[in-house]
Amino acid sequence: MSDQLRYRRQGVSDAVPEVPGLPYLYISPFFVLFGIFLLFPTAYTLYLSFFSYQGASNEALLTIPLLKVTIPQIAQLEFIGLDHYQRLLFEDSLFRQSLFNTSFIFLVQVPLMVILGLATALVLDAKFIRAKGLFRTLIALPVATGLVAYSTIFLLLFNDDIGMINYVLQSLGASAIPWLSDSWWARITLVIAVTWRWLGYNMIILLAGLQTIPEQLYEAAEIDGAKRWEKFRYVTLPQLRPVLLFVVVSSTIGTFQIFAEPFVITGGGPSNATITMVQYIYRQAFIQLNLGYASAVSVVLVALVSVMSIVQIKYGGTE
Amino acid sequence: MRQADKREALWKFGSYLFLLVITALVLIPIYWMVVAATIPQQEFFSWPPRLIPGTHYLENFQALQENVSFARSILNSLIVSVGYTALSLVLCSMAGFAFAKYEFRFKEPLFYFILATLVLPIQLLIIPLFLLMTQIGWTNSFIAVILPWAANPLGIFLMRQNMKAIPDALLESARMDGATEFQLYYKIALPTMLPSLAALAIILFINQWQAFLYPLVILQEEEMFTIPIALAQLVGQQRVYFDQVMVATSLSIIPLFLVFIFLQQYFIKGILSGSVKQ
Repeated sequence: MSDQLRYRRQGVSDAVPEVPGLPYLYISPFFVLFGIFLLFPTAYTLYLSFFSYQGASNEALLTIPLLKVTIPQIAQLEFIGLDHYQRLLFEDSLFRQSLFNTSFIFLVQVPLMVILGLATALVLDAKFIRAKGLFRTLIALPVATGLVAYSTIFLLLFNDDIGMINYVLQSLGASAIPWLSDSWWARITLVIAVTWRWLGYNMIILLAGLQTIPEQLYEAAEIDGAKRWEKFRYVTLPQLRPVLLFVVVSSTIGTFQIFAEPFVITGGGPSNATITMVQYIYRQAFIQLNLGYASAVSVVLVALVSVMSIVQIKYGGTE
Repeated sequence: MRQADKREALWKFGSYLFLLVITALVLIPIYWMVVAATIPQQEFFSWPPRLIPGTHYLENFQALQENVSFARSILNSLIVSVGYTALSLVLCSMAGFAFAKYEFRFKEPLFYFILATLVLPIQLLIIPLFLLMTQIGWTNSFIAVILPWAANPLGIFLMRQNMKAIPDALLESARMDGATEFQLYYKIALPTMLPSLAALAIILFINQWQAFLYPLVILQEEEMFTIPIALAQLVGQQRVYFDQVMVATSLSIIPLFLVFIFLQQYFIKGILSGSVKQ
């Protein structure tokens, strides 16, 4: 920017609109759609969660030919207050199962993905590494594969009987692993799939964050005699904190919304060992036709994710 | 060799090894997709599995053509993804500009309110959105797929963060030169924000290209199916045509790979200013 511009700016008030109400004009198109398609449906879900879905007329409300699912018109909504919440918190073992599965994936997934993503980003940020762009592009490619597409690839790769992973394991003299037929291995398969898909995404964000750390900070640390670990501990980590927080929170939100992977790879099995909360919502709403109950589960899910994000931001925040 | 040099060499070697292992692990499933797409269906369930690509790609592609109207679903995906990306870019950049560069009442609460909705799972909205679309008679239309997600909270977040970097002096001098307020937005903010717009465009395009559950519910006729639904159609059949699924998969991710490879510089820059400079 020229000095002339900088000079002119002096004494001019900071970005106050000259047309009153103009900012509202700019934000209103966004808010119109936001209100109709996000806020209203959310409120409606909350509303539905207090009602039971009673009886049905013959008219179809929703037909998904692909899944051979038809949801009949809602004939009657009966107000039942908090009954749904009581049922899902105290009586529903399948809900508890889905909560457990989702929590397990979350507890393994988020640390694994953040640590791997950070390690990859740190290596790619090192000065001596060649062909950085190539490595970065290759590692980030899975971000560009569709959910259904990559889930199908993993379905085949991890197949117990004909999958390539087990073939390689057996060729190396190890025994085959029941990837999809054992509860714990099935959960681990999901974790591997999700990590594969999102590692590059987190790596890019963390790499971007690393590149904003001023070089002088490292030079100053070196003058003070800091070793590699100390530079990481006392310069990189604190400087990277906001970006790390962003990655942790967005990974948390993402993990709690996992749907396509268990839907395609494990189908929620074996014996519901990989059913996630969103999948349970989907089942309740579209297979068992309990729209009210599904709404209540959705509300609980949102509450859970919100609380966790707030806790993470509160304890991870810099201010 | 000095002890320190030795340690340094070991460190470099370890770093490269780590990078190569990660890259290999990432590439294995993609490589395997190529193998699977190029071998005949009957070899699919043979043991040992094929590890080297075959020559059957065109045959598999022809079989795919007979089963689903693949070209049509690519076209549908393009219409939906491009339309959605364009609309969302306009909405998010305008609102982001207002949030970044103007002072107005309720600015902060409105913005944090938008951010808070990031935690809402999309699946939560499917039922009420379907009811709404039925009421206005929009089911089985592209507009019903595009509109609901065009007001994208992540998009507005990135736009606001990035547009904060536009110098106020630039806007002031344009004002003095007689620019209208709206010209500040589309003649100054938009051109200077091209890299961030490109980054957001990639995110939006990829998201919409991959959207599954919601389009599955809204688009009900085969000629309207987008790529993921056409793919799921192949997996959902009695007999799963894995060879065709892999051909379709490999073709469906080509546009994304190209977009990603050519625009990733912007993608990284956009993410950079979006997430870091708070």
